[in-house]
Parts: sequence; structure tokens; C-alpha cells
Amino acid sequence: MNTMLPLQNGDPLITVRGFLRQLLETGVVEAIFLPLEVDGGATLPALVADPAWLDQADPLTPVMPINSARAVSALTNKHSPARLGVVLRPCEIRALIELVKLQQATLENVTLIGLDCPGTYEVAEYIEGKHAGRITLADYLEVAGDDRQPALVGPSLRPACQMCDQPVPEHVDIHLRLFGLGTDQAIPVTLSDEIAEKLGLSQVSQPAADGRQAVVDRLTAARRQVREKELAAIRERLDADGGLASLFATCIRCHNCMTVCPICYCKTCLFKTAAFDHPPEHYLIAARRRGAVRMLGDTLLFQLTRLNHMSASCVSCGMCTSACPADIPVGAIFSAVGAQVQAAFDYQPGRDVSDPLPLITFQANEWTQIGEEK
Amino acid sequence: MNNDNHFEPHILAFLCNWCTYTGADLAGTSRLQYPPNVRVIRTMCSGAVDPVYVLKPLLDGADGVFIGGCHPGDCHYQTGNYKTRRRYVALTEILKAVGFDEQRVWLRWISASEGQKFAETMTEMVVAIKELGPNPMRTSWTV
Repeated sequence: MNTMLPLQNGDPLITVRGFLRQLLETGVVEAIFLPLEVDGGATLPALVADPAWLDQADPLTPVMPINSARAVSALTNKHSPARLGVVLRPCEIRALIELVKLQQATLENVTLIGLDCPGTYEVAEYIEGKHAGRITLADYLEVAGDDRQPALVGPSLRPACQMCDQPVPEHVDIHLRLFGLGTDQAIPVTLSDEIAEKLGLSQVSQPAADGRQAVVDRLTAARRQVREKELAAIRERLDADGGLASLFATCIRCHNCMTVCPICYCKTCLFKTAAFDHPPEHYLIAARRRGAVRMLGDTLLFQLTRLNHMSASCVSCGMCTSACPADIPVGAIFSAVGAQVQAAFDYQPGRDVSDPLPLITFQANEWTQIGEEK
Repeated sequence: MNNDNHFEPHILAFLCNWCTYTGADLAGTSRLQYPPNVRVIRTMCSGAVDPVYVLKPLLDGADGVFIGGCHPGDCHYQTGNYKTRRRYVALTEILKAVGFDEQRVWLRWISASEGQKFAETMTEMVVAIKELGPNPMRTSWTV
């Protein structure tokens, strides 16, 4: 059902807070997961059980300290303990769908609340920009209205957001439609009839959908162009001699990319075991054989193994790039390789819970030429 | 050994216990000749070959990695080799994408009765890898 949230106090944030409070107070959800403001200007994802705390909620925050699909995995696991509302960005929803398929989360008892996502800033740059008055919510929300990237003066969006061509959430129970919205207007919401009835909301016609769609199309097309350009540049570097080694030349194998990756869920990751604690002679033998050997080793093996494990499910959230202390464009590399793997299996991560993961399924009658003599 | 004049490739072969390993055994008991460049590791199923087992030797400088399994439909564990096939597709896509020569990784279905085919396939692979030349990773220090 389509309806409109009338603007409260002329402030979209207060309006959205009020709506979320209503969800909690009417018992549609028993607790709600969303970003809460903390001292110092940042926001952190939190689970809120007491509606009073929603005065600190900032679901419109333009930062993404973690991919919250990981948090929803922790909150639901095999069984959600209560009716939960979770406010997520589109890439977080896609990651959550992959985690559901990997049996690390469930959507049962979960009300997915999705917002159109104009993009996010690096946390530190956002705090600095906010204190300096360079980033304002109004500016941020008007992003797509007049066909531009938000706040290009001041800090720019995270690289993954600059090339995000899926900024609209799919598969949500409640969709807050921010794109094409002036900050002085009521907020269009699409939600299930059941939830609308519990909230006492009735159908209100939304502004013409084609106006919004034009805005979404413009934004998506512009970002797809950035994405194609970025990925082409990465592919060119990968194709060059020693391409992979040169891209990861400054990798210090801190495993940050793996830690922040929403798809890398394994509790017993090979790279956290003693498998690569080689005896000292190992390095000497390798150095003698090759002339010299990189310390600490196994860097490319780590990256290739991670590509092999998760690139089919990579949702291009770019948390790995944000977390990389060596400024390696990890996310773009994984997106570039992931796109090729995904194309081979005609698989789109996060599209649908019922699409099987490419590596846990098979057809008897596929790739029949593989394994036969050439 | 890896100079241009005389290059003898090092090939690592993962052979499924039920088909290809038995086929290799048959090649041996039939006294069939094939080049001695292949080091065999027996696995219970081609589906038990973790792609990391392929990546590690490639990065360590192996010139080729061979995976041998039962013909589709003949897997001792019903479906192991179908999963191998999908993993092989994913792995070779990744190798292609990152600029590795995916032709260094072979997957072949060879049954327990195909000793002759095993010997021929090993010969064929050694020839093909000799044409590709040594794995550049062998002398790369930045792995």
C-alpha cells in the first residue's frame, strides 16, 4: 500500500523517527535495529527496545560503519527471538539475503525497513565535514533531485557508493522513498496492508511515480557509468603482467577486509588457523628457490582464496575498501572479479532468497564440455 | 631445470580414489608409459579438492594442476563431481579475471577402466604445459 508520512516540524528526520516509534509502540515490532547517534557526531548501529531511545535514532545518517547484515545475522541467526524491525541500506539488504542463503540469518519475524540510499561517507570524513558544516542533511537528501552527487564540495562519497548502481532497496516490507523528495515534503512510504492497518495508516496517493523513477534512472545510469569505468580500469591493471601482485603489493595481510566483509562469515576461517604458521625454514627455502621472498607471505593466496569463497556473493558494499589501511581498492577488485564469476553462473547476489548459491547447487546437464578431451 | 632449452614442468595431480586414481593404477599395472612430470595426490573424491589446494601450488610455482574425477553420473558419492565442475568454473573464471593462465588447471573425467586414457591425458598435459612454459609465479617473490 502506498501512503505519505506528513512532515512533522518541517523535519524529515523527526518524521521518520515518529514513524519508527509508531512501529515499536503499536507492537508491529518488539525491537528495532537502526543507527543511533553517539556523542561526537557519529552514529552506530544499535538494537532499540525502548521507544524513548528513538529520539537519538538517525536512520538517514550518511555513514555506514559496518555492513549491518552482519549485525542482523547476530540478531537472528537461526531463529529471531522476537519481532524485529531492521532498518537497512540496499547493499545491506543484499548482503542479508546472501547470509540467509548461507544459513547465517533468517528473515522470519523480521520486518525489513529499507530506505533509498544516496550513498555514504567514510566515518571520519563525515564527522569532520559535519562539524565544519560542510555536510547537511538537506543537501544529502536532495542528492538525486537535481541530478548530482551529494556534497561534492567537501568529502566525497565512499568509492563503493560513487559506483553503486543499486541504490533502491528490494524485498522490503516497508520502503521509505527518499529519492526525488524535497526536504519540505511529506515522505512517500510503501508498506504491506497488514502493517498499514496496525499503524492505522490509510492509502494516500503518492506523487507521480514516473517523476521519482526518472530521478532513480538518472542516478543509477550516472553511477553505472562510474562503475564501468572503475571496473574497466581495475581489469586493465589485472591483465597487466604481475597485475594481481601489483594491486596487492601494499597489502599487509591485516585481514581487515575479511573482518568487515558481510559475506565472510566462517567461524573457522582457514586464515585464522595455524595452517600458515610455517616453520622458519619454510621462508629460507622459498627465498633460496626464488632469490627473495615477501614477508609475511601467502598474501595472494589469502586474496585469491577469499575471491574464491565470496566473490559470487559479493554485493559491492565496499566495506573492504573503507577498512583497508593500505588504500588498496579491494572492493573494486572484488566487484570486477565477482561480476565475471556472477555472470558465469547467471547469478545476482541479493536478488532473491530463492536463487540458490552457485556453488551449492548443480545441474547434471551443464558445462558438459568440461572434463572431456579437447 | 627451468631454462628455455630444457623445461620439465612440475604438475600436481589430484586423483579421485574411485575412478582416476584407479585408472592411473591400471596405467601402471599395464606398464603404459607417460612422462614422469606428474606428482599424484589421491583424494577420496574430486569434490574433496578444495580450490585452495589448486591455488597454493600455482602460487608456489607448480606449472600445472590436474584434477581427475569420475565421469558425470558415475560419482561414488552420487554428486561430488558435479560440484567439482561448478567449482572449476568459478576457479577458472577467477584465474582468468586476475590474469592467471587458467590453462594450467585441467579437469578431466577418467574412469577406473581408462588406464590408457590416463596415460594419454598426462602426456597431452605435459606437452601443453611445455608449450605454455614455466609458471611465472615460480620466480615471483611478491606472492
